[in-house]
Amino acid sequence: MSNEVTENGVSRRTVLKGAALGGLGLVGGGTLLSSCGDDKATGPVTFTARTNDETGLKIAQALADAYKAETGIDVTMQGSGDTNAFQDGISQYLQGTPDDVFQWMAGFRTNFRADQGLLADLSENIKNLGDQMPEGFISGATNPSDGKQYIIPTTWYPWGLHYRKSTMKELGLDPENIATWDDFMKLLEGTQKKGLIGYAMGDKGGWEAMGTFSILNVRINGYDYHIDLLNGRKKWTDQATIDVFNQFALLIPYMNKNFLDISWDGMRDLLLAKKCGAMMMGSWWANDFKAKSQEDYDDLWIVPFPEINPAYGRDSIDAPVDGVSVAANGANVEGGKQFAEWIGSEAGMLAAQAAGDTSLYANSRLDTSEYDAFNKQKLAVIGEAKNVMNFLDRDCRNDFAGTIVGPAIQNFLKAPKDVNKIVDGMQEAWDALPPLE
Amino acid sequence: MSGIVQDKKYRDRQKRKDFFITVFIAIFAFVWMVPLLWTFWTSLRPYSDVIQNGVFSKPSTLNFQNYITAYDRMDIWEYLTNSFIVAIPTVILTLFFGSLMAFVVTRYSFKFNLYLLLLFTAGNLLPVQLVYAPLFKMYIWIGDLVGNRNLLYDSFTGLILVHVALQMGFATFVMSSYMKTIPKEISESALLDGASVFRHYWNVILPLLRPPLAALSVLMTTWIYNEFFWAIVLIKSDNKRPITSALGRLQGEFVTDFNLLAAGAIMAALPTLLIFFILKRQFVSGLTLGSTKG
Repeated sequence: MSNEVTENGVSRRTVLKGAALGGLGLVGGGTLLSSCGDDKATGPVTFTARTNDETGLKIAQALADAYKAETGIDVTMQGSGDTNAFQDGISQYLQGTPDDVFQWMAGFRTNFRADQGLLADLSENIKNLGDQMPEGFISGATNPSDGKQYIIPTTWYPWGLHYRKSTMKELGLDPENIATWDDFMKLLEGTQKKGLIGYAMGDKGGWEAMGTFSILNVRINGYDYHIDLLNGRKKWTDQATIDVFNQFALLIPYMNKNFLDISWDGMRDLLLAKKCGAMMMGSWWANDFKAKSQEDYDDLWIVPFPEINPAYGRDSIDAPVDGVSVAANGANVEGGKQFAEWIGSEAGMLAAQAAGDTSLYANSRLDTSEYDAFNKQKLAVIGEAKNVMNFLDRDCRNDFAGTIVGPAIQNFLKAPKDVNKIVDGMQEAWDALPPLE
Repeated sequence: MSGIVQDKKYRDRQKRKDFFITVFIAIFAFVWMVPLLWTFWTSLRPYSDVIQNGVFSKPSTLNFQNYITAYDRMDIWEYLTNSFIVAIPTVILTLFFGSLMAFVVTRYSFKFNLYLLLLFTAGNLLPVQLVYAPLFKMYIWIGDLVGNRNLLYDSFTGLILVHVALQMGFATFVMSSYMKTIPKEISESALLDGASVFRHYWNVILPLLRPPLAALSVLMTTWIYNEFFWAIVLIKSDNKRPITSALGRLQGEFVTDFNLLAAGAIMAALPTLLIFFILKRQFVSGLTLGSTKG
């Protein structure tokens, strides 16, 4: 164990050790700890950043340093290694000897582990944050099976149509006013006629096109239908679902032909090189435009996906929420909770911001007037939506999203005519899944 | 007369054959080299250049800046040390246990000799992804038994053990094949002179095993060094991970600077290349010796 026992941390950690020894380790340790609620923990805290890249680590380290400066509590920060490997191995990570606090994603990925008793209940801490934490984020972070929160939301980003203002201007198109599907088709046609790719697509990773599927589904069938579908209460073979795929098929002629050979970053490169018109994506890579030049960054814009069914308008958006969770199995759960709460608080967010984090923050106290135009536009895009989705692979069980939906959409893009066969296969795969523990 | 003509024809045919073989080998050598060369080429270009002009464009600048950046960012020495902390004991232990095993199954005849050998090599046929989950549980369980979860999980010991277990099959197989080519008479005279089992192994057989030991140690060092899977799943602490995982430092969550990554990959690959070039002779002689002695 890397954490040496200090001061009044002694008794608690000894208890935890005893619990682990007695074989109560996984669940017992967690409940024991959460029962000693108000006890101020002063022991050192460990923290895993869900990233290994330079900026991400710098921001995480800044959080650790600022917390130490404010409370005197040591925080040892480490990178997660390969991000995807960390995400895939999270269950083992949490069952082993996890760090107390780790950066994580809201939605299924949190709730599933919470139900298994691997995450500490953070409801108290969310309550402590009071009006700093907007309602929408709290509901987004709430585990439907027990009504508690296991993640403290920190940052988020919207999915929308990205384009370059200059390209659209050259083409004489106005993407600001694509209110309806017909407008959108006209825009795509216009772009294609000028020799550019209308709708950039790169689905090599299997998840990129989920964004398009989800937005089409909520535009055509509404948010409730979408969530019901992803949780088995509606069927993939329903005509309503097939309609979504058929609508999706209308976009294929405007896509680049190598959509299965490039990943999302291939799409970004198309936009960077001014080779495409619109690109449906989460807007986390704006910094790449900035890296090229300020001019390119200023040229980048985002608008909501157009309305299709007037009954639903543009009332939903994919805006995945990231945050921090506390491992039930950690060495210092109480200290972890306090650190997590602090990260979500105004002080924590200010520290992250000072270290160069350009994300949108969940905390309501942060002043948004300093945001640049693009970030303000992102806020506007999210602001008009009533329902916030966490993205398909977080709204849906993991053994279905990545393994079934991803490849199915890839197959669909290759052969849109086979849609019936594809949805049959998806429904079959869903029905064959074992019930969740 | 006719004999000479035939000879000439035969020679021509041989020449043509040789020519085709040469061309064939050249093509394959090229195919094998392309990814390496391409990586090297990529590592010399700055990311911004590629972003602006595309991957296949004519480079505006070529320099070693990526290597400097990668070196700074990778903490290369720390991770390199980790790699060798794992690789060196693994190779020594594997060769020791493997040679013991091979010694027993080839020098002594038990009824289940063949089955033993099969058992040991069969382990190699299991995909590691299949072994991983139970192994993880086992490590945690053993750790809980002694009250320290990190006894095997998230520790070098655990990583070394799993490598030894998985590599031993192959080592046993290679060494037992080689040992079969060592004349029985050597063993018989050793026994006649009253050598104990261990003496027989340590003073008689082991010195004769030098060629396969050399070949295997080169091979295994490279394998363990390049290994990624176990290091990712069994090691939680970033500062205990091997060099392969340091490459992850050059990758962003979403965005990856492939030029920088290429430079890092080449630096990470250098030690294995060095080992190969220094021990090339051992490597090749080990392989051929085994085959001609039969």
